[in-house]
Amino acid sequence: MKARRIVVTSGKGGVGKTTTTANLGAALAQRGKRVILVDADIGLRNLDLVLGIEKRIVFDLVEVVEGRCQLRQALVRDKRFGDDLAILPAAQTRDKTAVSEQQFADVVAGLAEMCDYVLIDSPAGIEHGFRNAVAGAAEAIVVTTPEVSAIRDADRVNGKLQERKLPMRLIVNRVRPEMVRTGEMMSVDDVCDILSAELLGIVPDDPEVIDTTNRGIPLVLDPSQRLGAIYTKIARRLEGEIIPFTQIGGGFFSRLFDALRAG
Amino acid sequence: MEAQQTRAQQTEAHQTEAQQTQALARVPQAPAVGGEARSEPKTRGRSIVITSGKGGVGKTTTTANVGIALAARGARVVLVDADVGLRNLDLVLGLESRVRFHLLDVIEGTAPLDDALVRDKRVPTLWLLAAAQNREKDDVDTEAMCALIERLRERFDYVIVDSPAGIETGFKNAVAGADEAIVVCTPEVAAVRDVDRVVGLLGNRISVQLVVNRIRPALVRKGKMLSVEDVNSILRLPLLGVLGDAPDVIVATNRGEPVALDETAPIAAGYRAIAARIAGEDVAAPTADEPAGFFEKLGSLFGGRH
Repeated sequence: MKARRIVVTSGKGGVGKTTTTANLGAALAQRGKRVILVDADIGLRNLDLVLGIEKRIVFDLVEVVEGRCQLRQALVRDKRFGDDLAILPAAQTRDKTAVSEQQFADVVAGLAEMCDYVLIDSPAGIEHGFRNAVAGAAEAIVVTTPEVSAIRDADRVNGKLQERKLPMRLIVNRVRPEMVRTGEMMSVDDVCDILSAELLGIVPDDPEVIDTTNRGIPLVLDPSQRLGAIYTKIARRLEGEIIPFTQIGGGFFSRLFDALRAG
Repeated sequence: MEAQQTRAQQTEAHQTEAQQTQALARVPQAPAVGGEARSEPKTRGRSIVITSGKGGVGKTTTTANVGIALAARGARVVLVDADVGLRNLDLVLGLESRVRFHLLDVIEGTAPLDDALVRDKRVPTLWLLAAAQNREKDDVDTEAMCALIERLRERFDYVIVDSPAGIETGFKNAVAGADEAIVVCTPEVAAVRDVDRVVGLLGNRISVQLVVNRIRPALVRKGKMLSVEDVNSILRLPLLGVLGDAPDVIVATNRGEPVALDETAPIAAGYRAIAARIAGEDVAAPTADEPAGFFEKLGSLFGGRH
């Protein structure tokens, strides 16, 4: 297998897994890497919407597993990136038990022969859908936000990834610098300390993301979006470049340490 | 045997502690945990699940705040965290340090219900039944869950179940004992699609109402966010409430002090309205109108339509 196989997961929903998968994939593709994105959220797929390719889906992951089509036939190419970005959509009208962990891992292994990066968009939670998403991966990116609930969930997922010996790096999403400065939001340092995780990226909160997401436009394609440059930085770090972080200082949340110890 | 003894000792220690804390909080005629909730056994409370499909749209925040608003009206309310393995309702309510036993302990008989119920001292008729953190959702037996909800309905006016994200086992268990559902949706196409799927799965047995969360009227006016009407033109559900996007909600979550506790907070009024409608009051139709922001006014002065 030649491609890197990376699962994007979080435990908590709505922290930005799908947005991260789509935009990181687009940033890598823009840098000339061949990228395949896999939507593992069978029954609640959304990666297709975020990339605006929902009307072009013909086959899906479950149909591949059930042998109703070839793996290549199910891939939807994002023409804005030439041949470099493709999506394997999830089925919408089936549920997660339609695919086993082994079947999922086999699909990812097949995709890894065709590209440089396979990014797997995990569903929320730690149930069957999560286990599938993780099954084919060799690395993990955990997305979290600076909220106690998101961090507690990320900590739980961290444990699950360690059991599987998957190396994990962290993206802290939706940071609001002004709230960090006033001590109303915990800093990225706090988050990394609590999770004792290596940092891959810091993404500020930007309400305009909702709009681009609703319209299916990856941020790297929209020059008015400052976040595009941030995903490009994350892509470069993923490729091994050393790029310093713009740090945002802040307070200390001991309450969370207690909560994690108790839980 | 030894383990059982330890558990029994813990229970005893916990009861003593609970009694002490309650005495400290000067609760009148401090009953044992669950004491007050046991009165009036004849009425059967309502069971409502709060769900969404997509995660992070505000299920847990809605559960906590609607629960507080209902309890503030004098109703006896129990909030049940069904997110086994990824519990958070305790954190949002700020009760995490007081959770000793959880839902699975009760279902499996390792702890009595009374010991697992955590009373929120800030609102005396509000209780929490926490989820297990170190167990899996598949460990919960659906029938046992239904039986537990029935037991709670005999003692409380409202049993509000906070569903996990997704549509897997955890969702199915959360929904199993409910007669009513509140689906929470944000103005995002992904959230709308997930809610649509969930409503399909809820079927006809459960009556469904919609809460649209995190609306930013300024962005809606600029055409950069779906409006409540846009969302509901797809979902076509009875609208229970509309809530604005307020950064104080993050602060409140981090502190464990839900916004509904602060009666002066603008968003608290939204939760009170939802509670009133749940209780059957005919309050005004929900909106998220707010006066135009300073910058928006400025923009319209200089640039006309913005």
